[in-house]
Amino acid sequence: MAKHACQLNFLSRSDGSALYSIGNTVALASVNGPGEVKKSNRHYNRSHLEVCYSPSTGQSMIGERTLESVILHTVEQVILVHLHPRTATNVTIQEMQSDGLALSTSVNATCLALLDAGVQMKSPFAAVTCCLTPSGTIIIEPTEAELKESEALATFVFDGQALNVLSAHQEGCLDSENFYACLRKCQTAAKDVLNFYRRIMEEKYSSDKSYN
Amino acid sequence: MSLKVGGAEIIGVVLPGDEILQFNPDVNKERICIGPGLRWEDNVVRATKPGILKKTTKKLYYVDTHQKRYIPQRREFVIGIVLKKKGDYYTIDIGGSEQATISYLSFENASKKTRKEMKPGDLIFGQLLVANKDMEPEMVCIDTYDRAVGMGSLPEGGIMFNVSLHVARLIVNPENPFLLNISKKVQYAIVTGFNGRVWVKAKKQSDMVAIMNCILMLEVMTLKEANDNVFKVFESFSRHGLK
Repeated sequence: MAKHACQLNFLSRSDGSALYSIGNTVALASVNGPGEVKKSNRHYNRSHLEVCYSPSTGQSMIGERTLESVILHTVEQVILVHLHPRTATNVTIQEMQSDGLALSTSVNATCLALLDAGVQMKSPFAAVTCCLTPSGTIIIEPTEAELKESEALATFVFDGQALNVLSAHQEGCLDSENFYACLRKCQTAAKDVLNFYRRIMEEKYSSDKSYN
Repeated sequence: MSLKVGGAEIIGVVLPGDEILQFNPDVNKERICIGPGLRWEDNVVRATKPGILKKTTKKLYYVDTHQKRYIPQRREFVIGIVLKKKGDYYTIDIGGSEQATISYLSFENASKKTRKEMKPGDLIFGQLLVANKDMEPEMVCIDTYDRAVGMGSLPEGGIMFNVSLHVARLIVNPENPFLLNISKKVQYAIVTGFNGRVWVKAKKQSDMVAIMNCILMLEVMTLKEANDNVFKVFESFSRHGLK
């Protein structure tokens, strides 16, 4: 597994932000909300969610829209949107450095930014990417070079409670046997990611434990 | 680890979704109270926010979170900025997702003839009378006996700045050793709202800025570290003053 690293509260002016890296892929997520909302996006029973992904260079294209929709659908399932009607929650992700793991890095960055902002959620979530090489081995969190060689790549997002799949994204062909093998491997890796989250949050609140 | 400070017992750091305890009202006859950051669902109490789980002696459980965004709660004291006058009401920005309103009659000694006049940009300190997720928040500057008890519009000449909500909760106590430490250096008045706005007034402009910098230290330091640094901040300001 590649090395995970995270820095919370990276941006001073957003409600919550996190700089997250897996290996050489780095993403910066910022969360604002629940806050003011445009009239057209106002829902009477829930908070409006918006995810915006901006690449490190160039304009946001169809590929970025795919990432946005995967992240949006994941976040939608986890945030307790019904607690803040007539508000909006915005997630902005900036790609900082790319090494093939853009999706899982930005999902994890989003989760930590949400935790940093203190948005009410059902559980945290963790994304893990894996790829299948032509020889049939599964690599967890591959590099860009390994991805080019591989036959298929799959990303799974798990929730923090029972490690249920929140969303899955796949490129290339996987037969059911390989798919389940990938799923199981990613599930094991997700536990480490969730433990990493806990360590980060304990670090954040460590100074408070001894005082007040 | 459990540590008892200020009447609340610290249980530990929790993440959203963590199971705090099982509670079935049919079986458990002993009642508990669930505070902010917790939800009771399917006879299990779970956290919804990350933070430090605390328990008071009266069996009130709550999660103490570091947050910057204010979500209005009833009975909380807040500092608002007057935006505009709308008929019998003023609209006030309290930092929440919606603007609050305040009637011109909800001030001490206000009547239809002696109405409270305020202009956009004025600051007021008041309490939230109505604040829930389905309604527009409403502020008042009087208590149930029509007394101001310190609420009302804030005088001119002070400065206002924003801090994180947990810092605001920390300095809301006037007996706070940190505030007392600053008062050894300079005489000042401070008003703290639960929405993270702090208003300070002192004689000199430089003193107000120094106090602001002292309070902003709490964002990144513990109370003890910040206490040790108060002297340094004031010294650097007095040195600049001499130049």
